[in-house]
Amino acid sequence: MTASLRKLLSASWLCTAAISLAAVLATATTVQADDRSSAPADAVVYIGWPNDGEVINRRKFRVWFGLRNMGVVPAGTAFRDAGHHHLLIDTDLPEADEEIPADKHHRHFGAGQTEAVIELEPGVHTLQLLMGDHNHVPHNPPVVSKKITITVK
Amino acid sequence: MFRFLFPGSSDNADHQSVFDLKRLCSLTLLGALVAVVPVTHAGDTPITDDALVYFIWPKDGAVIKGGKVWVRFGLRNAGIAPAGIDRENTGHHHLLIDTELPPLDEEIPADRNHIHFGKGQSEARIELGPGKHTLQLLFADHLHVPHNPVVKSKQITITVP
Ligand SMILES: [Cu+2]
Ligand SMILES: [Cu+2]
Repeated sequence: MTASLRKLLSASWLCTAAISLAAVLATATTVQADDRSSAPADAVVYIGWPNDGEVINRRKFRVWFGLRNMGVVPAGTAFRDAGHHHLLIDTDLPEADEEIPADKHHRHFGAGQTEAVIELEPGVHTLQLLMGDHNHVPHNPPVVSKKITITVK
Repeated sequence: MFRFLFPGSSDNADHQSVFDLKRLCSLTLLGALVAVVPVTHAGDTPITDDALVYFIWPKDGAVIKGGKVWVRFGLRNAGIAPAGIDRENTGHHHLLIDTELPPLDEEIPADRNHIHFGKGQSEARIELGPGKHTLQLLFADHLHVPHNPVVKSKQITITVP
């Protein structure tokens, strides 16, 4: 390898490294600069089924998500007046301006689902839906359903 | 036999039959491919085989007094993404009113019989005049072209008295 070729190669490596670094920094900045996404004032999310007070005779059942005056978009993609569903099970609402936790009490439907099969132990449970934006942060104003109570037998 | 199927010059018989055999093979292969492609053609965007769209409401045969109804779109094993957003295993709903399925390998028309829900909606308020009406859901990709395989609901009939 000639000296000039080596020089050229190392220069191009430096260039690539600089571009990658710039890209990483840009991504980090975007995330940090995030504010809550707006939602239409008349957006409504609700649990289509089960109904409040429902007694369900099986552990595994389908929950249907209702959404009005707003759209669904998978997590990771920002889109005006849209978001994805989160099903809160046996828990109160999380912080309004932070990423919704992801655990057995906070289920994310980031693939754009509008219904889900869940499995619960027998007993009394609460269910509530909360919309989140592309970063899993609730909207402003928050789009949240009534909290319902069901009994699994 | 090959020459009967694919007539050609006979002055180099051996060569010719090998050539014909190749042609026959490729034609057979082509035939097999054509046979595999379903009769109803679909677009290019793949979606899981078990994806399903259906009407949560109204039910087939429902009688809707006044003709105003919230139509609720059911979707299983796939997700919603607004039109223009290309994400795996997603699409947006289209409501076909009083019409048969459009060509399934093209962009779905946008008119009063083909309503697009490109903002990612999962339900819609519609108003229908007195009489019998058919409703059908057809899911489509970011470019409004149905998926492969096609994801469509049963066509239902409702009556507005
Ligand atoms: Cu989320
Ligand atoms: Cu469309």
